[in-house]
Amino acid sequence: MSVDRTGFYALLKREVLRFVRRPRNTFVPPFITNVLYFSVFGVILGERINEISGVPYILFILPGLIVLGAVSNAFENASFSIFHGRWNRYIEEVLTSPLSYRSMVGAYVLSSATRGIVVGALVAVIGAFFTSVGVARPFYLVAFMVVVTLLFASFGIVGGLWADDFDDLTMMNQFILRPLVFFGGVFYSLNELPTLLRQVSLLNPMIYMVNGVRYGFLGVSEVNANLSLAILTALTLAVTAVNVVLFRRGYGLTD
Amino acid sequence: MSSAIRIRDLRKSYGDVQALDGVDLDVPEGSFFGLLGPNGAGKTTFINVLVGLVRKSGGTAEVFGYDVEDDYREARDRIGLAPQEFNVDRFFPIREVLQHKAGYHGVSESEARERADEVLKRVGIYDKRDTRFDWLSGGMKRRFVLARALITDPDLLILDEPTAGVDVQLRHELWETITELNDGGTTILLTTHYIEEAERLCDEVAILDSGRVVEVASPEELMDRGTDDIVVSLRDEPTAVPDFAAEDDRVEAVELDGTKLVVTAREGGLVAPDVVRKLDAAGHEIVDLEISRTSLEEVFVEMTRTDEERATERSSDADDAPSDATDDGGAGDAAAMEAER
Repeated sequence: MSVDRTGFYALLKREVLRFVRRPRNTFVPPFITNVLYFSVFGVILGERINEISGVPYILFILPGLIVLGAVSNAFENASFSIFHGRWNRYIEEVLTSPLSYRSMVGAYVLSSATRGIVVGALVAVIGAFFTSVGVARPFYLVAFMVVVTLLFASFGIVGGLWADDFDDLTMMNQFILRPLVFFGGVFYSLNELPTLLRQVSLLNPMIYMVNGVRYGFLGVSEVNANLSLAILTALTLAVTAVNVVLFRRGYGLTD
Repeated sequence: MSSAIRIRDLRKSYGDVQALDGVDLDVPEGSFFGLLGPNGAGKTTFINVLVGLVRKSGGTAEVFGYDVEDDYREARDRIGLAPQEFNVDRFFPIREVLQHKAGYHGVSESEARERADEVLKRVGIYDKRDTRFDWLSGGMKRRFVLARALITDPDLLILDEPTAGVDVQLRHELWETITELNDGGTTILLTTHYIEEAERLCDEVAILDSGRVVEVASPEELMDRGTDDIVVSLRDEPTAVPDFAAEDDRVEAVELDGTKLVVTAREGGLVAPDVVRKLDAAGHEIVDLEISRTSLEEVFVEMTRTDEERATERSSDADDAPSDATDDGGAGDAAAMEAER
């Protein structure tokens, strides 16, 4: 139906314009953070750390930092946009429209994933100033970046619908997202861990994301890339389907 | 005439609280329909069920034949809503907000731009097009939510307290705009606290109280159910006046205070000529005549009084009754009947 397609593009455009027009809130913070990460972990500490998986430490952490920036921003964008719209009730402009629930969810997820990918690219550009980086497996790089940003955008929607106030958003970031990222193999190799911790770490979805993107850049991975991609894709489809169900039921949206 | 809104046994409960308790209502297509009721009567809940912001607990609700849940896209596409509480996107200038809203309804970008300019001019805030909503004055905000409701060219325009908190001039301008829309065929559903607004604008009103429709009628029909005061000033103080009540059952009370005679009657405009004729025939010279019509507000207040309020009034009348009863045996019963009416 053309109404739905036009409506979907209108909402997608609105959502993209929202973060594009506020670079101080959306792009400057990850820029500064990543310049600091590369300077401290890559250059200052990295020179004292041996090669991991056959690559210098700064190159080893680069894919992890890209994933960290991308998924954090995808999650933050979706959760903030939904929650802020609920808080100020302007999400009702969308809810009272003839857009299908699938289109609503699709536009929120896709726009948030877009922000994640833009931030991921920004981190890659910053990394390129600190070390020389190539792309060994472009297909895997693109595929993993698309899937992980879509997945965290979908998680962000659940968070935005669930939150009751702004503190809940901060809490999700501090107590759920950040631990997953820091224990997700961004800064260390799984091989460095004792067996038990290694087994536990394999339950963290972030391990597969970081290793997938690392595989795209460096051609090396500590887990099976194809299996990771398949599992992450299935998870993304499942969470997005949950989003549509939540919208249809009006969870957090209607009385 | 087909229905723009068709509601059957509509229910909405929040825990033990019944916000809507079996509402049945038909709003004819093309009509200007008022929804009146005290605070908490369920008016906004009713509206929000239609647009999908509240999920009903039971019953059916259709807009132009489309079920608001099963065919939500078709139903919502036909509705323009100007809510009481502001719910406007604060990230963008108001013209862009309108363009986005039009886009959600399937309007192309180029047409959305044209429509946005058109509706902003229509409500008189075109020169504020590049301003964000938060920077508009209170009156401009009201105009804007009307513009946003109009941008999708709705068949049903729902206005929830559209003139709350606006000055008299703006109120009249808004009335003019929505009357024009109704003349052009748009069905209007209006909720208001200003009874005068309903009296002036609506073809028909439904009175909602405690989640139920207690009455549906035209404002004129409702006002005819109240009583009017026919106030006659006489040249000289009379010693006696004709017994109007005995000859016309529409007359409910007669009171004489010096040269001023007050006849309280239903359909006061029709009773007044008889009163004048009888006074004239009895030799009384009339120097002034005034008919004080019952207002819709008085009828509304009477219809939406709680049982507790009625009981309080009955008990207060009963307290007064003994001294009257000595002089006039039926006065206490009459007061109780009046309270029941």
